[in-house]
Amino acid sequence: MACHRGWSLYLLSLLLPLLSPAAPISPAEPISQAYSLALYMQKNTSTLLQTYLQYQGSPFSDPGFSAPELQLSSLPPAAVSFRIWHALDDVERLSRGQEAFLALSQHLQLVGDDQSDLNPGSPILLAQLATARLRAQGLLGNMAAIMTALGLPIPPEEDTLGLVPFGASAFERKCRGYIVTREYGHWTDRAVRDLALLKAKYPA
Amino acid sequence: MDVSLCWRPPAWTVGEKRMRTAPTLRRLLSALTLLHVMVQVNSQKRGALRDLKCTTNNLQVWDCAWKAPLGAGHGTVNEVCIDDRLHSCYPLEKGNVKIPALPPGDHEVIVNYLHGFNGSSAKFILNEQNVSLIPNTPEILTLSADFSTSTLYLTWDDRSCAFAHHSKVTWEIKVLRTPRMELINLVTFNTTLNGRDTVHYWRWTSDLPLQCATHYVGIRCYLDHLHFAGPKEWSAWSPLMNISWAPESEAKAFPQDKVVLVGSNITFCCVSQTKVLSGQIGKTFYPLIHLYGQNVAIHIQNISVSENSGTNVVFMIEDNVCGTVVFAGYPPDVPQKLNCETHDLKDIICNWNPGRPTGLVGPRNTNYTLLDSFSGKSVTFKRFETLTNESYQLLFQMPPHQEIYNLTLTARNPLGQSESAILVNITERVCPHTPTSLKVKDINSTVVTLSWHLPGNFARINLVCQIEIWKPNSKQELQNITIKGVENSSYLVVVDKLNPYTTYTFRIRCSTEPFWKWSKWSSGKRHLTTEAIPSKGPDTWREWSSDGRNLIIYWKPLPISEANGKILSYNVSCSSHEEVQSMSEILDPQHRAELQLVKDDYIISVVAKNSAGPSPPSRIASMEIPNDDLTVEQAVGLGKKIRLSWPPDPNVTCDYVIKWCNSSRSEPCLMDWKKVPSNSTEAVIESDQFRPGVRYNFFLYGCRSQGYQLLRSIIGYIEELAPIVAPNFTVEDTSADSILVRWEDIPVEELRGFLRGYLFYFQKGERDTPKMRSLETGHSDIKVKNITDTSQKTLRIADLQGKTSYRLVLRAYTDGGLGPEKSMFVVTKENSVGLIIAILIPVAVAVIVGVVTSTLCYRKREWIKETFYPDIPNPENCKALQFQKSVCEGSNALKTLEMNPCTPNDVEVLETRSIIPKIEDTEIISPVAERPEEISEAEPENHVVVSYCPPIIEEEIANPAADDAGGTSQVVYIDVQSMCQPQARPEDEQDIDPIVGAGYKPQMRLPINSAVEETAAENDADSTAGYRPQANVNTWNLVSPDSPRSTDSNSEIVSFGSPCSVNSRQFLIPPKDDDSPKSNGGAWSFTNFFQNKPND
Repeated sequence: MACHRGWSLYLLSLLLPLLSPAAPISPAEPISQAYSLALYMQKNTSTLLQTYLQYQGSPFSDPGFSAPELQLSSLPPAAVSFRIWHALDDVERLSRGQEAFLALSQHLQLVGDDQSDLNPGSPILLAQLATARLRAQGLLGNMAAIMTALGLPIPPEEDTLGLVPFGASAFERKCRGYIVTREYGHWTDRAVRDLALLKAKYPA
Repeated sequence: MDVSLCWRPPAWTVGEKRMRTAPTLRRLLSALTLLHVMVQVNSQKRGALRDLKCTTNNLQVWDCAWKAPLGAGHGTVNEVCIDDRLHSCYPLEKGNVKIPALPPGDHEVIVNYLHGFNGSSAKFILNEQNVSLIPNTPEILTLSADFSTSTLYLTWDDRSCAFAHHSKVTWEIKVLRTPRMELINLVTFNTTLNGRDTVHYWRWTSDLPLQCATHYVGIRCYLDHLHFAGPKEWSAWSPLMNISWAPESEAKAFPQDKVVLVGSNITFCCVSQTKVLSGQIGKTFYPLIHLYGQNVAIHIQNISVSENSGTNVVFMIEDNVCGTVVFAGYPPDVPQKLNCETHDLKDIICNWNPGRPTGLVGPRNTNYTLLDSFSGKSVTFKRFETLTNESYQLLFQMPPHQEIYNLTLTARNPLGQSESAILVNITERVCPHTPTSLKVKDINSTVVTLSWHLPGNFARINLVCQIEIWKPNSKQELQNITIKGVENSSYLVVVDKLNPYTTYTFRIRCSTEPFWKWSKWSSGKRHLTTEAIPSKGPDTWREWSSDGRNLIIYWKPLPISEANGKILSYNVSCSSHEEVQSMSEILDPQHRAELQLVKDDYIISVVAKNSAGPSPPSRIASMEIPNDDLTVEQAVGLGKKIRLSWPPDPNVTCDYVIKWCNSSRSEPCLMDWKKVPSNSTEAVIESDQFRPGVRYNFFLYGCRSQGYQLLRSIIGYIEELAPIVAPNFTVEDTSADSILVRWEDIPVEELRGFLRGYLFYFQKGERDTPKMRSLETGHSDIKVKNITDTSQKTLRIADLQGKTSYRLVLRAYTDGGLGPEKSMFVVTKENSVGLIIAILIPVAVAVIVGVVTSTLCYRKREWIKETFYPDIPNPENCKALQFQKSVCEGSNALKTLEMNPCTPNDVEVLETRSIIPKIEDTEIISPVAERPEEISEAEPENHVVVSYCPPIIEEEIANPAADDAGGTSQVVYIDVQSMCQPQARPEDEQDIDPIVGAGYKPQMRLPINSAVEETAAENDADSTAGYRPQANVNTWNLVSPDSPRSTDSNSEIVSFGSPCSVNSRQFLIPPKDDDSPKSNGGAWSFTNFFQNKPND
């Protein structure tokens, strides 16, 4: 029996690299990759928000427009008190980020669809939304790699959007897009800090 | 998903509750709402009926009611009887009575009272005209709302009026709105009753979104019965039904996502539980209109066109916002420039221009439907984004075998629709695709086939295609061909009349019959046609070698148009009558062959060969047909061409050949040749090898049965130039007055043109003379002889002076100009006769003069003696000594000798002038002439400076003072001395007597102060190097006491001079006496001199 168990352990150790060939042994590399991507994303988030607002007409396009009271129940807010944030462990930190960017990537798809109705002749906006979605997915992949490297279970992908409110009015869609692009920026900022912390924790 | 504050899924319920009332209540209400009619009642004074009213709601039963007479209580009436035929009575119920409808006319109604009035009765007259028709209250069946469009839908039936068939009914509907239940709409609606129970519909759109306030609707009717004589009145209002929106906890703005026409007026509201602070559309804030509760509205007039994502309407609430989007745009414009055509007769492509933009995009964008009314088929065009500056296009698949289409394009958007139509015969609207897969195939060297692919089914029509054929260095050629259209899209045509071995570029485009449009050009296809045999033999010429034994055959390469391919080699053969001698092939780059011929008379033939075969042979006879009568002519060209002409010669049958070569080349000389047809009489020869100034020989040959005869020999120049050398010449013979010159010809190479003559110049001159005058100046002493006879080789120059050196120059000239000169000096021989005469004549003259003088002197010896040598008396014998002096003085006759002023030299004044000095001989430049100003400055007073030089001297004295006295005087002297004194002479004199000889001393010395003389002498001694005027300048200055003396001026005057003695004939006449200088105030001039002279 013991012999059998030893064999199976041995087999497992052989199979693990095969099963996850992309997973490096040290988490430093995926953390560094994710951090670089997050930094790169951070540079473009305000542009995305400004471009988005510019196409929605006044008062959205008015300078200094801000409506922090608008929130989406399906999108976890990035704002968190520093004490709570600091008390988070790596697992929580990473899984919250993953959850948020999963939701964001789905919401960015929804906003892209909304905008192709409202602003079909604006390829710049549509391209920026699509790019933002791809980057969110990329960061998601990087975070999964970190979790794999840390030996953490990867949470299953969930349908965060749920039932899509197709009947949303144009104004609701504009507000929705605003919240998503705004939260995308906030979550990217938060991801940069999260990953910086992890980077310090797991130096190369 | 939830928007947690603002966005709740709509959870409202439509207030569609119908108000249902119990039948009893309804009856009661209808009874209450009966209108009463006052009936004229004829009643007894006692117990008169009050407020009698009769109404009907169905024309069957009249319902009358009244108030009991005063004093009568209820329940006292027991019946009502109508005085008609039946005299029917009806029991009275509760103060009103229902009477079946009575026929027209007056009816007496008796009301019987059982109690109170002791069986008394009251009477009144009842007529139909006094009965009011009041329909039953209508009933609303349903009231519903479409909140998205703010539309109310109302249904009701006409049950209440169903009895009145074919009567007209007018319905009146009112809409009320909270909070004040104000009437916001009242409409009438006419129907005609048809006897059946009909349901009526009414629709109304509210300007205020229905969500913003509760709306109530009521209805009543008016029956216009034709056969009823009495008054007709409105029914009572039906019970009100309402439509309301169940507000959510979150604020919401309405209408949502509405599409409106630009310029329309629209109201937006915000349904909110909390206070709304402001409302804005875009950037503009509008005043809030309070509805009920916290609900508010804003109203915008004349809305402007929205941007793509719509115009935002936002209400700010205390802790939130609510908003909506409105899309203001235009209905679609009529599609413009609708045009339908086909590329392939399979699909119709319709293009159009959308016209004015609608301002609406996305789902609100215009969609287009293209419908063919003949086939009933349609296609739809839908795009979300608006195309800017782009024509719209729809593809319509053609049903088989249909040619005529009636196409209607309908444009629709939420604001309206428009359409435009076109009727086309599609076979007349074919613009074929660009032909593809163009291929070229050789048939032979001048014919090819072209094949191409043209997609489409053109089986029913003809195609017109245009083939562009282009070959290098020529204009493109277009060929139109008509071909029958085929189903499989492959086409093939034959193109002929091409040139062999030529690279062609073909391309093709097609259209259809009747013409509509050309397709685009296909891409070009290059093709090289195959080779054909050369069409002509090479242009051949022959020359005998210089030794006359070999015949050299020349030929020219064939032009590409005649070579018909790449020439590989040439075959040269010669044949005589007996034999045929063949030469081996000569490969292409070589274009000459040398034959050793045994005999003279051969026919040479040259054949060019390419891969297709040999050319026809070019034949030429080896022998030249002799011509005895040959002249040499001259010709001069123009530019790089030379034109040769000749008279027509009927003997020439084949052609003319003009051969030319550089005349200086040795034989056989051949630069090139040119063939011209036998009917020509002139040819223009042009060659890049021609150079100006080079002599060429041109030979014109006439051809006669392959043999050539030299007809003319022409020497010519393309351009004549001047000779580059002068002719060599020698002096053959010289005499005292003539020279014989002989010269040689100039070689042709150096002549550079046709010699036109010689120019011969001669003039007196020494070989060593530094300056020989240029020949061109035409100086008078140069004599020119033009010798135009070019054959003349000698020239005798006569009338020359003996023993004189002559310069001889000879130049040749052509039409190109004068050649260089060659000169020679020749001295003529001495003339002995003249010399003898020259000696003899002076001797003879001297002898004669001597004899005459001697004779005269002898004859007049007494007179001479008397005059010149009178006898001198012996003073001892003179009595005068003995006499008193006065006696002696008083007698002039006693004087022995009278002293007269003596003038040793003659001075003759020829003329005086007052002009600027002119020096004729430029070679002799007198310094004096250059300095008159200096001198005049130094001595401003009258002062005459006279220079002398043979043969003529003109002098001018600047004399400002003399101007006053008659201008500047100029004096011309002719000296008695004919020759200029050698310059050395004053120096010689100086050596002898430095003081006295320093200058010229007038023969009569003036009385001067000795001290002054010494000074003058010292001055003179100081400046002995210079020339001295013969007059003592100091002396003159002395006699002009007013003049300021200046040593510088003296020295100036002293030192000036000329190679010739100036002063030797100057101031030969000094002032005679002291008066003279005084009289002119110190100004001493010739003018004064002359003026004074007569006085003397």
